Amino acid sequence: MPVDDYSSTVSGDASVSSTGNQNLPPKSTVKKKRNLPGMPDPDAEVIALSPTTLLATNRFVCEICNKGFQRDQNLQLHRRGHNLPWKLRQRSSKEVKKRVYVCPEPTCVHHDPSRALGDLTGIKKHFCRKHGEKKWKCDKCSKKYAVQSDWKAHSKICGTREYKCDCGTVFSRRDSFITHRAFCDALAVESAKTQTNPSSESDPKVQAADSSPRRSPPAASPPVSAPSAITSSDIRIQSSDPSTVVEEAPAPAPAPSPPPAGLNGSSSSSVSLVSSGCNSSSSSVFSNLFTSTTVSASIHPPQPLAPAPPLVGLNGSCSGSVSLVSSGASSSSSSGVFASLFASSTVSASIQPPQTPALTNLIRADLAPSTSIEPISLCLSTSHGSSIFGTTGQERRQHAPPLQPAMSATALLQKAAQMGAAASNASLLRGLGIVSSSAPQENLQWGQAQVDPDNASIAAGLGLGLPCDGSSGLKELMMGTPVFGPKQTTLDFLGLGVAAGGNPNASLSALITSIGSGFDATTAAASFRGGDYTSKDIGRSS
Amino acid sequence: MSQNESSPLKSSSSSLQVFSMMSLSPSLGSSYPWLKELKSEERGLYLIHLLLTCANHVATGSLENANIALEQISELASPDGDTMQRIAAYFTEALADRILKTWPGLHKAINSTRVVDLVSEQALVRRLFFEVFPFLKAAFLLVNQAIIEAMEGEKVVHVIDLDAAEPMQWIALIRGLSARPEGPPHLRISGIHVRKEVLDQMGHRLSEEAEKLDIPFQFNPVVGELEDLDVERLHVKTGEAVAISSVLRLHSLLASDDEPLRKKLPLALKNSNGIHLQRALRMSQNTLGELLEKDTVNGYSPSPDSASSSPLSSPVSPKVDTFLTALRGLLPKLVVITEQDSNHNGSTLMERLLESLHSYAALFDCLESTVSRASSERLKLEKMLFGNEIKNIISCEGAERKERHEKLEKWIQRLDSAGFCNVPLSYYGMLQAKTLLQGYNCNGYKMKAENGCVMICWQDRPMFSVSAWRCRNSL
Repeated sequence: MPVDDYSSTVSGDASVSSTGNQNLPPKSTVKKKRNLPGMPDPDAEVIALSPTTLLATNRFVCEICNKGFQRDQNLQLHRRGHNLPWKLRQRSSKEVKKRVYVCPEPTCVHHDPSRALGDLTGIKKHFCRKHGEKKWKCDKCSKKYAVQSDWKAHSKICGTREYKCDCGTVFSRRDSFITHRAFCDALAVESAKTQTNPSSESDPKVQAADSSPRRSPPAASPPVSAPSAITSSDIRIQSSDPSTVVEEAPAPAPAPSPPPAGLNGSSSSSVSLVSSGCNSSSSSVFSNLFTSTTVSASIHPPQPLAPAPPLVGLNGSCSGSVSLVSSGASSSSSSGVFASLFASSTVSASIQPPQTPALTNLIRADLAPSTSIEPISLCLSTSHGSSIFGTTGQERRQHAPPLQPAMSATALLQKAAQMGAAASNASLLRGLGIVSSSAPQENLQWGQAQVDPDNASIAAGLGLGLPCDGSSGLKELMMGTPVFGPKQTTLDFLGLGVAAGGNPNASLSALITSIGSGFDATTAAASFRGGDYTSKDIGRSS
Repeated sequence: MSQNESSPLKSSSSSLQVFSMMSLSPSLGSSYPWLKELKSEERGLYLIHLLLTCANHVATGSLENANIALEQISELASPDGDTMQRIAAYFTEALADRILKTWPGLHKAINSTRVVDLVSEQALVRRLFFEVFPFLKAAFLLVNQAIIEAMEGEKVVHVIDLDAAEPMQWIALIRGLSARPEGPPHLRISGIHVRKEVLDQMGHRLSEEAEKLDIPFQFNPVVGELEDLDVERLHVKTGEAVAISSVLRLHSLLASDDEPLRKKLPLALKNSNGIHLQRALRMSQNTLGELLEKDTVNGYSPSPDSASSSPLSSPVSPKVDTFLTALRGLLPKLVVITEQDSNHNGSTLMERLLESLHSYAALFDCLESTVSRASSERLKLEKMLFGNEIKNIISCEGAERKERHEKLEKWIQRLDSAGFCNVPLSYYGMLQAKTLLQGYNCNGYKMKAENGCVMICWQDRPMFSVSAWRCRNSL
């Protein structure tokens, strides 16, 4: 073994003996774990070799005959030839410690153990390149190299340059040429303009959207200790409501508190809750997205919703349950993914009244590790995800009951299809004996489609081919209704779809026949208009 | 609500055509005062009727009648009104655009001063789509979970994103990978996009995220059109595990297939669809029985321009096939495809119009149920995202028509013939996605799994599909 080197650990432990730490490297995988460049393993053994040792070509010396070899394997092969007894034959079977090497040149950056390089060959090459003399020279150009392999690699490339961009730059590699060419024009144009960075100014909104998540890390990342987080949340919720007594549990008080403040207060507290609760990355992930959505919610400050405390409570409970999610999810990476995307939908100004005691329960439960599934359902039961836009929270409240006056477009299309189907069914399919439950009718009248939208008897509107005179027509429509057995909801036509002309082929053939037979539309149009007037009256009266 | 099977949806296309035939208002004067007094439902029905009529006229080339229909629609439609009014507004704009294309000089002139969408506006709309709808979120959950599971035990992971515009997906993946028990892999993400700024933004965000979590990460931006992609630029190294993700992008590759066929047809645009329809109808009267077996209008049409991507025949799409083969050459461990699940690639206008009417009705209904009518974000989504898609579907043809959504079964066929076999999506991922959908405030979002693929639906209409694939070994 070479005499010159000594070893010490990077972390500064001043033990001189070469046994050093008994720290075993992580053995989870068979393959060596590569550290990121520039960041050596802190438990590794640091070896400082002298320049002569570093430059020596025969590092490995046989202990029997003192013959030197460049490689360890070669030494081993040589040793076999000495016919060693069994015990001496084995190398010392201690685990190979991770070794890192420092550069002997004191002015070099890599002289510091914290900047040690992990590979012996690497440190040798580095030393030669930086601190050695350049003995190798390229014969085509004047470049000089200290390491022979560098020189060889260069001379292969030198003179083989093929790619020249229009701006004059020359490339020896195809990919760098292509990449450069793609940007070359853009670069030229940009440099011709003033120095303002176009990407930053053209994406103000995106930047703004981005800045909100960036704001959150400083808030979320320092892990606040759990108890203080809880108390801070308590205080914050209460501070938003001056009229309540401070000792009161963080149950929302009835007095109106400014909702944005309440929103922010609870949300930021819950953020710290989350970040403190777990050490898995999913929590910070989660709180990031969490905060970004709440920040955006505060950007559109909702008008004071009447039950502001429930809002606070809601966010609190939501966040509390969410923190459960993240803690429960510390074991599974995927729920982090899930939680992060999920959070953006659940936490915004939502309106459903929560169970406010849930807040205290959840906080007190304080991140009890549970399976990830249960807290998710808990979260769902307490909060109703809503869209990001805070403003819609209120408006949605106003038309939270399903849209009575306006039918959905899908429903309208269904209805139109049924009318078409009914019309075609009536004329053709009976003859073909194809299934149709529509009552047999002769005339095609569109006017009868006009039914009072609030009235649930949709079937009445189907083109059953009733004559277009007013009230009698409607009565017949009503009588026609039992044929279909419609559902009494304005929105749902799907049930009817099954009843009326659900056979695709039938309608298709009806189409063909009706077109082929030269369907006369004009009369229908005239009657349509007449029918429209009358049915409007009907609509109003019924 | 769930009683309805898919058959009424199919039937409705043809029934709608009957409906449109039912009463055609003759050419009269322009003002219809009673039109304004219609109630919402009646107005909606009338709008549908007018739309179909107009489309029929456009398809057959009778532009006079189309003009009248357009005028009537304009009295009723409005981008600020109820769902049907909005839909009608965008569809008529598309139809008008299509008509205008028959005078190419006029079309170019009218669009000459149109400002190309700013990068920031596009980014905003994309972000809105991500936030307002759960579709992308659920899809990302499924895709990421599939990638994480496929990459278990891999040390070097290379993810290729065929349309790298939304960093949220990869941020979630980075977080997911960093939390895995054996530690994070060395991650490389190659993103392909047309605009450099989008890629720069994305690279920046992702690098930031990876740095926070201390994951070795590299972002490789590839600027250019997907159609012209040279897989060499992806720099796939041996030994790395490759995952390819395509979110709503693959269908645009189908656009290049029409070109050679288009060139063979000397017919002008206005005539081709009309002739096609008439020919079809004439033929059909003789073989009624035969027709009763087929499903759609286009199923029996013999004209050449339907050879590409007719709904029932096996898809002939050389460009996509070449592309998929090239991808397969990278020997990816996993390919995940997210696509719209609607057939907007019919070769006739009417077909596309009917299908897209249904799909976009569903999407507009989503918006109606979740966002208020006054919201400007909703307006932006409707106009800049859906409106543009509708315009592309209705008024463009050939290589210009990029929004060629197709149903999942056709994608399955394509991927199968390119040498991939299906990998069922992770149950855990599906569970997460389902929970996400249920967490949204309206209960219209549903999810169903079929043959290992997932369809995300609104009410009962599948809107988006996610499927995962791996290379088949025998090839």
